[in-house]
Amino acid sequence: MAAALPRLHMQDIYKSFGPVQVLNGVSMTVMPGEIVALLGSNGAGKSTLMKILTANYTKNAGEIRVNDKTTDFHSPRDAARVGIRFLPQEISVFPELTIAENICISAESKGAVNWADMAHRAVLVLEDLGFGHLDPQTLVNDLPVAERRIIEIARALEGQADILVMDEPTASLSEHESEQIFTILRRLKERGTSIVYISHYLKEVFEISDRIVVLRDGLNAGEFDPKTADVTAVVNSMLGKVAGSMFEDRPPLPAQSPVVLTTKRLTLPGKVEDVSFELRAGEIMGVFGLIGSGVEVLGRLIFGAEGRPPAGTLTLRDEPYTPLSPLKGKEAGIGFVTAERKTDGIMSDMSVRENLVAAFQTDFGNGFVTSPAAETAHTAKWIDKLGIKTAGPEQAIRFLSGGNQQKVCVARWLNPKVKVLILEEPTRGVDVGARKDIYRQLVAFARDGLAILVLSSDVEEIAGLSDRCMVIDRGRIIAEFGAGATPGDLMSASAQSETNS
Amino acid sequence: MSNTTQSQGLMKRLFGGSGVGTTVLILLVFYVLLLVMFSFLSPYFMTLRNMTSISSNIALIGLMAAAGTPLIIAGGLDLSVAAVAGLTGVIIALLHAAGVPVWFAVLAAVAVAAVVGLINGILATYLRLNPLIVTLATMSIVTGVSLILTGGLTKPLFVDGFNWIGQDRLMGIPVPALLMLAVYIGLWLLMQKTHFGRYAFAVGGNPDASRLIGLPVDRSQIILYVMSAVSGAIAGTVLAAMLGAAAPNAAGPHLLTVIAAIILGGTSLQGGRGSVWGTLVAVLILGTLNNGLTLMNVTSFWQDVTRGVVLILAVGFDGLRQRMA
Repeated sequence: MAAALPRLHMQDIYKSFGPVQVLNGVSMTVMPGEIVALLGSNGAGKSTLMKILTANYTKNAGEIRVNDKTTDFHSPRDAARVGIRFLPQEISVFPELTIAENICISAESKGAVNWADMAHRAVLVLEDLGFGHLDPQTLVNDLPVAERRIIEIARALEGQADILVMDEPTASLSEHESEQIFTILRRLKERGTSIVYISHYLKEVFEISDRIVVLRDGLNAGEFDPKTADVTAVVNSMLGKVAGSMFEDRPPLPAQSPVVLTTKRLTLPGKVEDVSFELRAGEIMGVFGLIGSGVEVLGRLIFGAEGRPPAGTLTLRDEPYTPLSPLKGKEAGIGFVTAERKTDGIMSDMSVRENLVAAFQTDFGNGFVTSPAAETAHTAKWIDKLGIKTAGPEQAIRFLSGGNQQKVCVARWLNPKVKVLILEEPTRGVDVGARKDIYRQLVAFARDGLAILVLSSDVEEIAGLSDRCMVIDRGRIIAEFGAGATPGDLMSASAQSETNS
Repeated sequence: MSNTTQSQGLMKRLFGGSGVGTTVLILLVFYVLLLVMFSFLSPYFMTLRNMTSISSNIALIGLMAAAGTPLIIAGGLDLSVAAVAGLTGVIIALLHAAGVPVWFAVLAAVAVAAVVGLINGILATYLRLNPLIVTLATMSIVTGVSLILTGGLTKPLFVDGFNWIGQDRLMGIPVPALLMLAVYIGLWLLMQKTHFGRYAFAVGGNPDASRLIGLPVDRSQIILYVMSAVSGAIAGTVLAAMLGAAAPNAAGPHLLTVIAAIILGGTSLQGGRGSVWGTLVAVLILGTLNNGLTLMNVTSFWQDVTRGVVLILAVGFDGLRQRMA
């Protein structure tokens, strides 16, 4: 690059949320017309850093220089004014508005709307991107996902973006559609736009970026030149040293344990495609996938929370099984622990006891009347067994820490009638101590004969916890591993996926 | 420390839900203050005659608000209850005039109310329509039907034995008040002692979580819609017996008081929290306030203003509690 001055320079950025230090002095530089790929596993600090850049968060310390001028943004609007635009992973367009309205919506304007001018400006931007054939009067609702993404980019450019931050722009796109985005990125690069590109698809990153910046645990963990760097080296710097102490030695898998759950070509179009596997009693099967890969849907689909699957067959304990609703799933012998503990896991106003017995309420008392005494005894047993920290069974569950709430959500399904336990992100928002407890207990329950399916976007969790594991990407199972797979194996498999659209 | 948890546990067992016991206590204190204040302000207030007249009126509001409380706890809402009460009286009067024995007429009217509740429930759950709009619509439909059936006229209803439930006393207590007490005790037992009651709290507290745990979310709510309509029908029956007549819109003006009582009683509009005793004390407060103001020669126009202010205060208090929780 000829230009000597960086377009963007972030120096020693610190950020903490309460007691949790998320960024510990991260620095990053982007030159004009440069595409920098920002990599890191879950919780490395990528999103936080970008949200500080766009002034969605305020930094605790550090300096941000744009075109060599120190900036101090107070709102995302300030950031937008100096040409910083952020495209989040979830496409945010207004489906009920036209292409022209979507593109021009952020432009500063006063008075009456000038429709002709708006359409004209939209066409200019679209032509610039090589999509002049799109009619600006089309409703965005009628466009395919890839073109919505392009409308989003066009909107950012109409707002004169000099620095474009894109978070997983190709996550929901096919290979061919991703190519369209890359074409646009190369065009923008020629115009001198600086781009920060967050993606976990290493193949894409190596193809499109000029430089790779890796974060780990809120620190810079390395910089690579995609022309010369080795994929393994990049993956290793993302993962760092594997935390071995989280997982303890475990008893061996029971020999010849029966298959409990079989899925054949299970499909929910657009989210889960052709998933087939067998789950045995006594084992923990892990499924690793990043957000948007289908990992957040597969468990719900099997449990019944997504309704009847459009295609595929399931067998549960040698009987045909059709997921219809959570109630039917429960009756068939499946338990489900959600990733979204606060929104669809706990009843926050109710007590630990009421939450813990909720799933099998009628086991206590007779068919009509409850038995608080039996419920209390049952709750006390699990509080003791799982080490749930609470003032007692009558404490409202909202006062418990995330980890202890999670233990209650797990304990709720520990009933002889449950043969398969599905857990989504079992340790999201759970502190280290409770996390270790939960891992140890899950292994113990499995070896007692429960079949456990864990779905997670935490690669170390899946690698450490599973007896067998699979990697899911764009709805498909793209790799399977036996015991002893390392986080690096899973991450590489996920990052190098080949998709046929 | 353990002492406070114990007493909280007792409160909870008595009143249900967290912190609701405290609300009921505060309301009780307020009620007593109100009684003391009005006894000083008006010599007629603390007379047996006045108390009896309040209690019948209160019983009417109380019966309409009774099953509305568990419904709101479970995340629903029923605005059609007062209209259903009106229709009940109309059906009883018309069937009786046509020669049907009065108690059969009552049964038929209750059955019609249950169907209205069922329709409310199905629209609000399976079809996921907003309960506010659904029951506002059925309120309008039911009121309209009552007016069509009667031509807008009040129908006389004097039947030996029937008017007893609205006008007489048992052991010195007006029958409507006893009926109301029975309904409240029944609902309290249902909410505190049965699986169904627990489901209602869970479903209102977090419908998504309840669904994912495999609780019968829709079924519980539909049953509560039916119960709300039936409790409206009981109120309508008592009202017709009390007046000795069925007026199509006799209960309509009470709707706001009914909703105000439920919210003032500590039942959260967000669902998941509340108790029938809170509603009962709130009904006592609102009824007493009304009566006291009347005795002090305040016009009923001002009473409308008071009721509105109390409703806003109650909702504001509920919002404050939500934020503190």
